[in-house]
Parts: sequence; C-alpha cells; structure tokens
Amino acid sequence: MPDLIEIAKGLLESKEVSFIIGYTKDRFGRVKPYIAKSVEDANNLMFDHHSIHNLAVYLTRLKIPENGKVGIVAKSCDIKAIIALIQENQIKREQVYIIGMNCSGVVTHSTDEWKKENIQIKCKYCADKSPMLYDAVAGTAEPFEQPDDTQAVLMQKLEAMSSAERWDFWAKEFEKCIKCYACRQVCPMCYCEQCIAEKNQPQWITTSPTPAGNFSWNIIKAFHMAGRCVGCHECERACPMGIPLTLLTRKMGMVAGKEFNYRHGMAIDQPTLVGSYNFNDNEDFIK
Amino acid sequence: MKEFIINTDEIANLISSLPADKWDILAPAKDGKSFDYILSSDKPIINSEAPPSKISFKEYFFPKSETLFYYKREANEISLTEPKFAEKKLLVLAAKPCDAASLPILSKVFNWDYKDEFFNKRVNNSVIIGLSCAYSDESCFCTSVGLDRNNTKGSDIFLTPFNDKQYVLSVVSDKGDSFVKEFLPNLTEFTGTKETKEFIDNKPFDYKKTKDWIAANFENKIWAETGEVCIGCAQCAFVCPTCHCFDIVDENCDLNCGRRIKNWDACQFGVFTKHASGHNPRNSQEKRYRQRVSHKFDYYYEKFGEVLCTGCGRCTRGCPAGIDIGEIVFSISNQ
Amino acid sequence: MAEEKFEPKVVAFVCNWCTYTGADLAGTSRLKQEPNARLIRVPCTGRIDPVFVIKAFESGADGVLISGCHPGDCHYNTGNFHARRRWTFFKELLNFVGIDSTRLHFSWVSASEGKKWVDVVNGVIDTVREQGPFLKYKEIKEHDFQEIEN
Repeated sequence: MPDLIEIAKGLLESKEVSFIIGYTKDRFGRVKPYIAKSVEDANNLMFDHHSIHNLAVYLTRLKIPENGKVGIVAKSCDIKAIIALIQENQIKREQVYIIGMNCSGVVTHSTDEWKKENIQIKCKYCADKSPMLYDAVAGTAEPFEQPDDTQAVLMQKLEAMSSAERWDFWAKEFEKCIKCYACRQVCPMCYCEQCIAEKNQPQWITTSPTPAGNFSWNIIKAFHMAGRCVGCHECERACPMGIPLTLLTRKMGMVAGKEFNYRHGMAIDQPTLVGSYNFNDNEDFIK
Repeated sequence: MKEFIINTDEIANLISSLPADKWDILAPAKDGKSFDYILSSDKPIINSEAPPSKISFKEYFFPKSETLFYYKREANEISLTEPKFAEKKLLVLAAKPCDAASLPILSKVFNWDYKDEFFNKRVNNSVIIGLSCAYSDESCFCTSVGLDRNNTKGSDIFLTPFNDKQYVLSVVSDKGDSFVKEFLPNLTEFTGTKETKEFIDNKPFDYKKTKDWIAANFENKIWAETGEVCIGCAQCAFVCPTCHCFDIVDENCDLNCGRRIKNWDACQFGVFTKHASGHNPRNSQEKRYRQRVSHKFDYYYEKFGEVLCTGCGRCTRGCPAGIDIGEIVFSISNQ
Repeated sequence: MAEEKFEPKVVAFVCNWCTYTGADLAGTSRLKQEPNARLIRVPCTGRIDPVFVIKAFESGADGVLISGCHPGDCHYNTGNFHARRRWTFFKELLNFVGIDSTRLHFSWVSASEGKKWVDVVNGVIDTVREQGPFLKYKEIKEHDFQEIEN
C-alpha cells in the first residue's frame, strides 16, 4: 500500500492538486491540521491516533479553486463529512482528491495513550472502518478494544426522565455556554456565509450568553444538524465548557435513522433528508 | 515584603471564618475547568502542580454578559436604572501568577480613555491570593512575557509551598496587608529561604524584539501560514485572561422595557470588523489571526507598556485547530 | 382577594391558504372559540422556521400551535411536506430538552374546516391551561430582568 507521503508528493509534484489538507506533528509531538503546498511540505504529513480533527471543515473555510482540486487526508468519519458536502452541493466531487486513511480509532488529547478508556465513543460505531469513498488509500488499521458507550447510558437516563427533569439537565448545561461558536466553526456542515445567529434584523437568536440566549442558540444549532450531522463529534471536542453537544446531535441522528432510515454522508448521489420529502412521511403527531 | 508561615488548617479556618454575607470565595473548581465559588464549609483546592483552569477567572471581573443599565418606558417617560452592584467582597484563592497578572494588565485598558467602573469596582472589592506554580507543559511560556513561577504581579497575598502542610505567605500589597491584619493576625513570621522550582522555557523570546518585528512585517507570509488553519471561533479569546473585547447590544423584555448589555466579543469572528456598508477590512482568517498576534504582542505593548498575554497557554490547549500563539511568537523571534 | 385564574397565551402559526381561512370561516360562522390564541399568518407552513417557535416561547407563550394545509393540498404544492419532516425532528428535539407535546402542537386544518379549527384550538388551549404557565421558560428569559419588574 503506498505511503501517505508518497501519494502526497505525487499529487503536489504533478500539480494535480494545489494543496493538501492533512495533519502534521509539531516539535513537541502534538498533532495538528496542516496545509501542504509543496513537495517539501509533503514530508511533514503524518497520520496517527491523535489525528482527531475533522479536516473536511477546511473545504468550506479555505478558498478551493473553482476548476481546481485539493487533496485531503481523511478518516472514515471525515469522509462522511466530505460526502455530505458533495450531497449538499458545497463542493464538487472533482474538486477533492480524497486520501482515505485506514484508521484504528482516535484519542482526544495529545497526551492520551491509545487505549480503550481514551478512544472516542464514535470510534465504537465506526461501521465504516475502511474509507468508503476515496481516490487513494493509505495507512494500516489495527484492531482495537472497543470503548464503552457511556453516552448511550446517559441517553437512556435522559429519555427515562420527566420533561421537567430533562429541562433542568439542559438548563444547567446551557448555562455554561459562552457563545464562542467553536461548535459552529469546527463543524464541516456549518458553512453558511451568514449564520442565523448573526442576523440582527430581526434578531432571531439572542447573542448574549444568558440562559435564554444560550438555550436558543444550542437548540437551533442542533436543529440545523438534524438529518445533516455525520457524527464526527468535533463540536463537543471544540467546546471549551464541556457541554455534551453530541447528545443532541445523536438524538437527531436517531430520529433520522428510526423515522426515515437515513444516515447522512453515505453516498454522494443520495438526496438529502431534509431537502426532500415523501408523501407517506409519518404524521401521527399531527391532529 | 512581610512573610509568614501558614498551614493548610489555618487556610481552611480562614475560609470558614469569612462571613458568608460579606464575602464570596473563588477557588479552582474540582473538575479543573474553571474557577468557581466555594462555600465557606468547602475544602479549597490549593494545588500548585495543577494546570491552569480551562477558562480563566476573568468572568468574575469582566463578566461574559453584563447589564449596563435597564430602561423602562411609561407613557412617554423613559427611565433608566443602574444595575445593583453586589457589595460582597471577593477572595480569590490559588490564582496562578499567569492568572493574577492579568488584572493589572487589563486595568490599563479599562482605565485609559474611560474609567470602566464595572471592572474597577470588582477589582477593588477583591483580594487575590496568588499561588506559586509548579506546573508547566508545552503550551506555557510565562517567562517569555515577564512572569515566572513565583511572580507576584496582580496578587495581594502570595503563597509558596514550604512543605506538605505549610506555605510561606507573602504580603504583596496594602490591600493584602489589611486583609492579613484583619483575618490572619496571629501568624508566625517566616525568616527562612523558599525553594523555587526551575522553569524550562520551551519558547524563550524577547518580547521587545518581537514587538518590533511584528510592527515592521504587516505583510509577511507568516500570517497566512499560521492563520490559514484557524477556523474563526472565539475559544482563544474567551478562555484568555487578558482578551477584553466586547459587544454592546440592547435586549427587550417587552415593548416598554429592556436593558443594554455588554457581552464578550472576539476579533476572530468574521463579523467583528464588518461595516454597515458590507465592507470588511479583515475579510480573511489570516488577517484576523494577524490582528490577534499583533494586538497582544505589538499594539498593546506600544500603548500601555504591557504585553497583552501572560503565557498561560489556555488558548493553545483548547484550540480545535491546535494553534500555538507562543510558538508563533517564538518563531518570529528566530526570524 | 379573588385569585386571578391563569389564562394561557397560545401562539398559533397558521398558513394563509388553509388554516387561516378555516379560522376565518369559524369566525364568520359564529363558532365559539376561546380567545387565548394569537394567530400569526404565514404564506405556508413551509415558511415556518423552528426559530419562530423558540421566539414565541421566549416572548411569553405558554403553548405553540402550528397548522397548515393537508398533505397534497398545499397552495405551493410541497411546502407542507418539507414542513412535516422538519417538525418530526423539531418536536423530538424539544421533547428531548424538556418541552413536550403538551406545549407544542401541530394540525392540518383546511379552509373549509371551520369546525375542526375551533376543536383544535380550544383543545390546545385547554391542554395548555391544564399545564399551567410555562414557568421554566419564563425563568430563563426573565433571569436578567429581575431587577426591573414590569
């Protein structure tokens, strides 16, 4: 199997891509996003258990040349985001050269060891352990011990609570929010040029980090992810206040699966869930 | 400066002796994420080996959302009401040097062309007990910005661990002196020598030299190289003990009443510099990131003689894109 | 002192072509409706952004009703189909955070269903009245205005 760096060098040398979005290690060994623009830069690319960042976010943050192409190093969860962006017409398939990485689970912090307790919960559900859409594949996947899904336990606990108890749980969590919008900025699916939170005539979502303003923001963000979230969990990783945002996105994912048998980011030609409808959609809740 | 010996029991007694109706006590929270109020019955966490909290204690002096005034309209009369100021005093325990130093740094901008009484009142009403720091990681660089493990800038009282159960208590300011006289009058004087742990500076730089380089290199390619991976959230600005930009908005409770609010804002947001015309002078993330580095290490230093950074590394530890501002300034110093 | 009986505020987002007309028919037919619903007319249920619902609760609504044309009868052909999908997600989301179906209601009411409108709106108002004022939402909204009581 060709090596990541070999693939990258080939792409940059032939100028098939103008740059490659990948990961690099800094001088302290911390893994971070990196843009390789030359054959020399390609030597700095790497991929390991600390490559947790979903680089698909850069496909809408950086200027992708209209008739050009960029390379991107992506694990399966990231590829779902790339597929989702293609489904939603934000990028064209021809604009990305996907270097799919065989992945063995990722851990959150640069200091975390690669072991069961540290591996992300989403990795447990990575049914798509090998990249499902790619132009090239690299890396080797090693089997790993599945993490415990502590989140599923919490979800069940929440579902069993009364409305009032659930409200209290979320009111306490949302109070912590400081409106840094890291959840929005890190999400590959949040690509609106003007976010609804930035609209002030009228001001739909209160900008202040007050209980009401935070409730409004977090609910609307979660709703905008309904049927569009690919479950990369970046929002929760980015949140400096530790709000369990993926509980909300997971709930929306469960509704998409249960009611519509749908998962976002699985096939580039699949119509989006919220952009389409079926005459027979469930309406038992409508009087 | 006056120095005394104090043990952990005496500190716990101090906490429980402060009348709850007159004092609030702030200490690092158990989960390490933030500073939190503790009850007088709680055992405070005083651990010099702990990393800095995820978010600074800035919100207790410069709240994330603060009412400036309330307005009410009755018939055609508009009345304004000032918010009530909490008269309780605040005791901050176990502030690291990189936390405590932020207050005198912020004080410069909040007392520049306008005296911000919201900030000043809160600082004047507080007593900061600093704690010598025994932690460091790849994100820290306090020594490059004029601080160190035992720096007392911003502290009124400073604790240095002496052994398992004892600390050396140093009186730093007049406010600290009055506090000790009132609440800790029976401490034994300390006449020994304090040990100090060496700090391994991962990113040594001369902030006077880097300031000059930044001022002369507005168009340098380093800004594109470092800023292009920035995703434009405000995590760095909001966890930072010295970032202080704010937005002022009005919110109504109904047609006839409302309040004017000051909220945290950040230069990393795309809309921060957007004009009403639609023009945006900082229309790319690279330009916005350049602004962040320049404000902290050039403009603020130029204007106030203080680097707008305490080297605490919070921004780096929390950055979703792994950007390390200390590394950037360090590489500038090697240019 | 006579206790003031709680009267709920219900905000109803109704589509112009069906439900609004149906409500109008109820009025001209002199059918008795409880007065608690404040109707907000939109061209189509497809126009309704869930943020309107949040805004309604923020502004003091104790309950929200959304009503439009029956599927297949949308004046714009497909608006209500898109809306129906949105509501499936939104109601589950709100339920998950503690706003359940006693406070958020949906219905299809056509232009000729004046009687149905009255039944629906009265039913919603009665349900919300039973639940009482939405104190929890008022608490988070009024959190910052406590110093000036209206």
